[in-house]
Amino acid sequence: MARLLIVDDDTDLLEGQKLFLQKKGYEVQTALTIEDGLAKAKETTPDLIIADLMMEHYDSGFVFCKRVRELPGLGKVPILMQTAAPRKVGFTFETGASPGREWMKVDEVLTKPVPLEHLLGKIEQYLSAKARHA
Amino acid sequence: MPDPLPAARPAAPAGSSGDGESIRVIVIDGEEGTREGVRRALEERGFAVRTASDVALGLRLMRESCAEVALVDVSLPPVDGLSPTECITQRCDGRTVVVITSALPSVETAVQVTRHGAFDFLIKPFSTAELVRVVERAGHQSRLVRERERYLSELAGERNLSHQLITSMHEGVVVFNIRRALVLMNPRAEHFLGTHFREGMSLPELFPDLDTAAAIEAVIDSAPARPECRLVQRSLGDGRMQVSISPLLLDGEAGGAIVILSDVTESWKAEQDKNRFVSMVAHELKSPLSAIINYINVIQSGMFDDTMPKIHEMLDRCRVRGEALLDLVRDLLYINSREVGKVERSIESVDLKTVIAGQLDFFRVQADKRRISLSLEAPLAAYPLKADRGDLDRIFMNLISNGIKYNRDKGVLAVRMADKGAAWEIAVSDTGIGLSDAERASIFQEFYRVKNQKTAGIAGTGLGLATVRRVLTAYNGRISVSSQPDAGSTFTVTLPKE
Repeated sequence: MARLLIVDDDTDLLEGQKLFLQKKGYEVQTALTIEDGLAKAKETTPDLIIADLMMEHYDSGFVFCKRVRELPGLGKVPILMQTAAPRKVGFTFETGASPGREWMKVDEVLTKPVPLEHLLGKIEQYLSAKARHA
Repeated sequence: MPDPLPAARPAAPAGSSGDGESIRVIVIDGEEGTREGVRRALEERGFAVRTASDVALGLRLMRESCAEVALVDVSLPPVDGLSPTECITQRCDGRTVVVITSALPSVETAVQVTRHGAFDFLIKPFSTAELVRVVERAGHQSRLVRERERYLSELAGERNLSHQLITSMHEGVVVFNIRRALVLMNPRAEHFLGTHFREGMSLPELFPDLDTAAAIEAVIDSAPARPECRLVQRSLGDGRMQVSISPLLLDGEAGGAIVILSDVTESWKAEQDKNRFVSMVAHELKSPLSAIINYINVIQSGMFDDTMPKIHEMLDRCRVRGEALLDLVRDLLYINSREVGKVERSIESVDLKTVIAGQLDFFRVQADKRRISLSLEAPLAAYPLKADRGDLDRIFMNLISNGIKYNRDKGVLAVRMADKGAAWEIAVSDTGIGLSDAERASIFQEFYRVKNQKTAGIAGTGLGLATVRRVLTAYNGRISVSSQPDAGSTFTVTLPKE
């Protein structure tokens, strides 16, 4: 059973996604802060991480991703970022593809509200790609 | 025999100028007969005539009457070694047109006369018709001279005015000619561009940034076939400068460019603040909506159809988040109405104690649910203040609501009112989760919300305390906070009595 970690400062969003994904057969951990998220990531080594962008700070999500990648065994964990931030504010979501932006190491940015079926599709896509490369 | 033809209607008298005023003529002649003869002949035709028997008197009369025409007899004795012609033309400040009369018709006289600045001459004896014709022409000449003078002085005035205008303008003005060389720059532009005017300075010297230089080039080249104006913005120190470029057309041909520089830092900053605010609002609106839609998604998936309590739980959270959204919209509207100034404050005498007691009553049901006790300590009978009742409600509604939301179950919310001389002091204390130093520094910022395990699930707009502080500013009031994590916080409001 694949392990997922969702980090978001909105309890309700976490709750909804957790209930849905658990029913779909995933083992779901949630964290409200990046500190808690890092602790849980370290502890459980999830197969995929879903992280919010604007939490304590407007760029908490990126900070979290950077630090997660530094943890043992998580250098290549797929990270989906979901955010309610308007696309044009502050960041260009190049998802680490452009030079100098490598630290924005997320695999995909999804705009909230992310329909659950769509989220599920993305999770399956990245997990199967990961399985192929493994 | 037919009746004689009626006399032709007399034309406007020859001696009046275009505006109906008589042309003023001075006759300076040694012979009384000539003086009087000329006077009669001219007066009959509408001229205003004064006479003088010598040059000195003639000059005085000319000045007194601002005469337009002087008839001067050259045979008069010289004054201060000057011939009468020289004397009159030199001393009549050029406004009086001089006509010479002479009994000695010689080419030499004529030449000499003209050389000394006379306009025309009459050889005695002259006919009335001759006299009138010459004096009329002289009068016309005088009017032309005066008009030209007035025009020149107006022109000088206008040039002076435009120079002053350009110099004193709050905007910077820079003018380039068609060869892209500097022709004009006012002091304000020197200040903006941090340089001094030097004729012929080049475009890149003044505008090193390529965008502005390219825009100026484009405007110069666009004229006159398709004259266009351009507007660019560039940095001005920490601020912003607007560069407005229009073509300079000289007789319809491209002549260069006029560049107006204005400091738009304030509006630029305001716009940035507004953009930031709007994107924050968008984020704050989307977050609860995302949570709500998420729950609905889960419910609709049918996966919890057999677990009704779970569904009810989710629906209840949807309601809570929906209500918080409504609060947010309400707060935004309030802020907007105050910012835009659409809603004017209605200042009246209000008793602070009544306001606070009213708010405490309003929140009693909510407090009771969590067994939080509310208390009001206000030793005076009344705490009068001149203020808008709505503003005071907003301040204490936010503080009391926070004191309950972030309190522990069975906690205490105490409001204490005190007289501090020139101001009332109101302290709202709770026994809740408290604030860290970092949180304390940020809580008055718009959309800042303390987010941690302890605050999870507590709905709020992130605008409450920011609004409180804004409203207080309008009354020269203050708010401060002291707090201890896990013990509680005290928000202290100071409101000047006047």
